[in-house]
Amino acid sequence: MTAALALSESFPALPSPTEGVLARLVGIGKTYGSGENAVTALANATLDIRPGEVTLIEGPSGSGKTTLISILGLLLTPTTGQVWIEGKNVAGLGERELPGLRARNFGFVFQGFNLFPALTALENVAMAIQMKDPRRKDPKGEARRLLELVGLGPRLHHLPADLSGGQKQRVAIARALGGNPPILVGDEPTAALDTKTALSVMELLRELASSAGRAVVVVTHDPRLERFADRVVRVEDGQIQATHSIDPRST
Amino acid sequence: MWTLARKLLLHDRLRFTVAIAGVSVSVMLVLVQVGLYFGFMDTASSVIDASRADLWVGKKSNESFEFATPFDERTYYKVASVPGVERAERVLMNFAQFKLADGGDLGVQVVGVEMAPGKRPLLAPWNVIAGDPHRLTEAGAIVVDRSEYPKLKIDRVGHLTEVSGVRAEVVAMTSGIRSFTTSPIVFTDIRTARSYLPQLGEEPVTYVLVKCDAGADIEAVKARINALPHLAAYTTKEMSTRTRSYWSSRTGVGAGFFTTAVLGIIVGFVVVGQILYSGTLQYIREYGTLKAMGAKNSAVIKVILSQAMISAALGFVVGAPLAMGMRAAMKGANLTVALTPELYGATLVITAVMCAFAALLSIVKVLRVDPASVFKA
Repeated sequence: MTAALALSESFPALPSPTEGVLARLVGIGKTYGSGENAVTALANATLDIRPGEVTLIEGPSGSGKTTLISILGLLLTPTTGQVWIEGKNVAGLGERELPGLRARNFGFVFQGFNLFPALTALENVAMAIQMKDPRRKDPKGEARRLLELVGLGPRLHHLPADLSGGQKQRVAIARALGGNPPILVGDEPTAALDTKTALSVMELLRELASSAGRAVVVVTHDPRLERFADRVVRVEDGQIQATHSIDPRST
Repeated sequence: MWTLARKLLLHDRLRFTVAIAGVSVSVMLVLVQVGLYFGFMDTASSVIDASRADLWVGKKSNESFEFATPFDERTYYKVASVPGVERAERVLMNFAQFKLADGGDLGVQVVGVEMAPGKRPLLAPWNVIAGDPHRLTEAGAIVVDRSEYPKLKIDRVGHLTEVSGVRAEVVAMTSGIRSFTTSPIVFTDIRTARSYLPQLGEEPVTYVLVKCDAGADIEAVKARINALPHLAAYTTKEMSTRTRSYWSSRTGVGAGFFTTAVLGIIVGFVVVGQILYSGTLQYIREYGTLKAMGAKNSAVIKVILSQAMISAALGFVVGAPLAMGMRAAMKGANLTVALTPELYGATLVITAVMCAFAALLSIVKVLRVDPASVFKA
């Protein structure tokens, strides 16, 4: 059985996207400060996030990549434009509504893992599942399933300090998968890993996209990761300069 | 939540130990200080509380129980003849000089009560552990508490001495009867007391203890006595409260003990607040990650409050036995620390509230964490 097949059997079908799109950014702009001190971090950015696709967001430091995925992940409110999630524009919603939307639609993976050092791999994942949905039954059972899915079955009860960088990132991916969100957002998830481990983590993310119709959006500086992507979005000076699709046969 | 809170607390053992030590010291200080206060207050009103009287009658001008002005015997008869009074007994109280075995003198508080053969008085020495208190009807018979033996240089029941130059024989020994004034209490019959207190004039009386008729309205009897000139009547409970209030407010003892107790609470508050805050700062990115993933503020707040409650509970579990140890140690110094179930309960609640308030700064910090900040590595 291939890894992709195993993954597809591990998740229920995701909700049908509106017009084949899980999230849509339209004319997004973000300006920090006001008047003479105003700094435009992002201008007129438009982007569709589709199921099953791996999208890489590349660009130099300070180009607006993080602002772009923060707005996509509903962590930052845009100054202008629209953010479409679950078929509605959610750009103007407040902190009362956003946690629920985030919990249903997004999982996040970070460069620094952000795992609680006092908790085992199983507990880190189970706690995130329970916090996303306090009514969820058997969060530990679900956490165990997700950790086995990312290849950490033998490391369930290890503390982060006893795991390698790649294993920690796999725990973080399992945590992001809690609640079965349709979109995974990664902020330099491979930056702290050696080449071999980085590629294996990216391969896992690729499989998660292909197998369950999940969208994976990854901010990276590493061009070697393009082989796992369907699309590369290049951001420079707060503008989306180019978007190009990758032909899988070319990689 | 409890598991996460417990593990976060225990992950840094040293910090956890400091937190529990802070709460424990706080709990111990509160229990010991408030317990000492209640112990002192129990001592201040112990003679009143031990009486079986419905009413205590004294001069209206009296401010304190111990330093009361006597009146003459005729007033006693006036009180005894008030309708509704079934029985009235005289008490004479004042200070006299007790002759020590080494030739010196010590001020004692003489309490003269009405002892009569075959009759149970409204006030008499209690907690008698040796000797025969019924012998108080004999002239010159006195009863002294065991705790005062070293101070009075007495070594046994039967000890002979003088009070105000008049013969005195210890006929019985009590346990746990002490005076708030620190002058040992010497129980005797009122006739002997009068011989020890000649400076008070002929047939002086300090208080009249009243037992009302069965079924009589005590408040009505009290009102009738209060109508008599220069007299004030109080129920035993009122008299007890009045005496406690007097010593608590006039001596500042209440403020002193409670100030120390409050300082204990502040120490606990600062230590727990600091520990929780530093722990929250250590895990701020992890908390931010949870918020980014959709965890509600309330869920994260529960984790921090759970840590505060664990600290409170463990601090109490350690602090309460420490207070019991202090009570045992202080008993040797004749100090009573009144640790009641109510005091333990109130201290547990105070500790929980203190720890919850100490968590506020951490909660504010977590509430202010911008979930987007987790992307700024």
